[in-house]
Amino acid sequence: MDKKYFEKVILSHPRDNVATAKSPISPGTLLTFSRDKKIVAKEGIPFAHKISLQRIARGGSVIKYGEQIGRAIREIKPGEWVHIHNVAGERGRGKSRKKG
Amino acid sequence: MTLRIREMNFLGYKRPDGKVGVRNHVVILPSVACANEVCNAIARQVKGTVSIPHQHGCAQLAFDAEQTARTLIAVGKNPNVAAVLVIGLGCEVVNSSMVATKIEESGKPVKNLVIQEVGGSPKTIKEGVKIAKAMVSFASRLKREKAKPDSLILGVECGGSDACSGLSANPALGVTSDLLIKEGGTIILSETTESIGAEHILARRAINKKVRGKILEIVRRTEMRALNLGLDIGKANPAPGNYAGGITTLEEKSLGCVMKGGTGKIMEVLEYAEAPTQKGLVLMDTPGHDAESVTGLLAGGTQIIAFTTGRGSPMGSPIAPVIKIATNSYIYSKMKDNMDLNAGEIIIGNKSVQEMGEMILREVIRVANGKLTKSEILGHREFAINRIGPSF
Repeated sequence: MDKKYFEKVILSHPRDNVATAKSPISPGTLLTFSRDKKIVAKEGIPFAHKISLQRIARGGSVIKYGEQIGRAIREIKPGEWVHIHNVAGERGRGKSRKKG
Repeated sequence: MTLRIREMNFLGYKRPDGKVGVRNHVVILPSVACANEVCNAIARQVKGTVSIPHQHGCAQLAFDAEQTARTLIAVGKNPNVAAVLVIGLGCEVVNSSMVATKIEESGKPVKNLVIQEVGGSPKTIKEGVKIAKAMVSFASRLKREKAKPDSLILGVECGGSDACSGLSANPALGVTSDLLIKEGGTIILSETTESIGAEHILARRAINKKVRGKILEIVRRTEMRALNLGLDIGKANPAPGNYAGGITTLEEKSLGCVMKGGTGKIMEVLEYAEAPTQKGLVLMDTPGHDAESVTGLLAGGTQIIAFTTGRGSPMGSPIAPVIKIATNSYIYSKMKDNMDLNAGEIIIGNKSVQEMGEMILREVIRVANGKLTKSEILGHREFAINRIGPSF
């Protein structure tokens, strides 16, 4: 298992650019991953939802479990809530798929 | 591994076909929806029986009729079933006498009544009660005998998933799957819709080229079924509750879903309601609809279902114990009446995935020995046959 458990989030794979909230995270919360890697939650993150660990460009891959789970439909900044408002999947969606 | 092999033996019901049941049900099975109430009435009067009402068996064609018949026959053959009374109306496509004859191949006692031949529902109920009483008496005299874990087929299912599913309960159940396979058992992983976006992981683990091709084919045909209709699977799967639980895309759901099968080689790919011919990890092509998927697994001969849930599902089955594993502690506390185990312990850091996987396996063996699951205690008997054609 490549999972890493931090105080407030779980990183499912070293390659991931999002982490999962272990409990609701309030805006302004400081998340510490290492001495150099710290992120401030820009907005509230509901339990089990994802927070961005880095800047993801529009059209960029969103990675969880070390795999692409979708693409950013607009730029996502570090510390932002990552969900259906800024990410779209590519599979099983046909014409209704939002282009990244 | 802290679990000793000896601890994995259990006491089960040996059936004439050599299979081992963990329950001993007498089933009252309608071959068509028109026989539902007659079956229910018999089951109400005879303790120890279970009726399995469904909506089908009439006005179906070709592959669709064949799939319904195959499912009903296979559910009757499931080793958790001691004896079966099949009831038909008389004019249906899924002929009850054919269903009964096919179930009888397993060597268990089977009887058939046809409402139009017996002369109406009250007479059929009266006759059915007489047969059911004798079947219950027969089943009650069967004794549990020593059995090995290699006789177990465990169905792994997830329903009402959340974004914890792929971090806690599903990888833990994957550990359970790997451990049971090591002891010669079989795991059926299903829900093809929830393999879309994760099929490359499954395909990599195919035992040979043919199986690899079949894995990719069932995923592709499921995806194309929606695309050819111009539909977005994401409007139904992930479901609204999945999104609320933090799952953002079908790919994310799928990557979490497939973890339930563990890391083993995939030995074969089954059509809906087909029985495995191989031991180890096998795939069954079922939709993401939980009741339809679990019904397919029952037909595949699974004696026990391990079912992970993050949003909370109370689902059971008429003939197999369903073990509910919560993916997070919130839902475990909130729906404790329906939950057997809490894999949310992984999220809060109290247990490792490995420890939880071993706990699930211990629970599987306890349930195989007769421990009732919450879904059984509460009488959950959800059942739904996957239709692949329209009614005419």
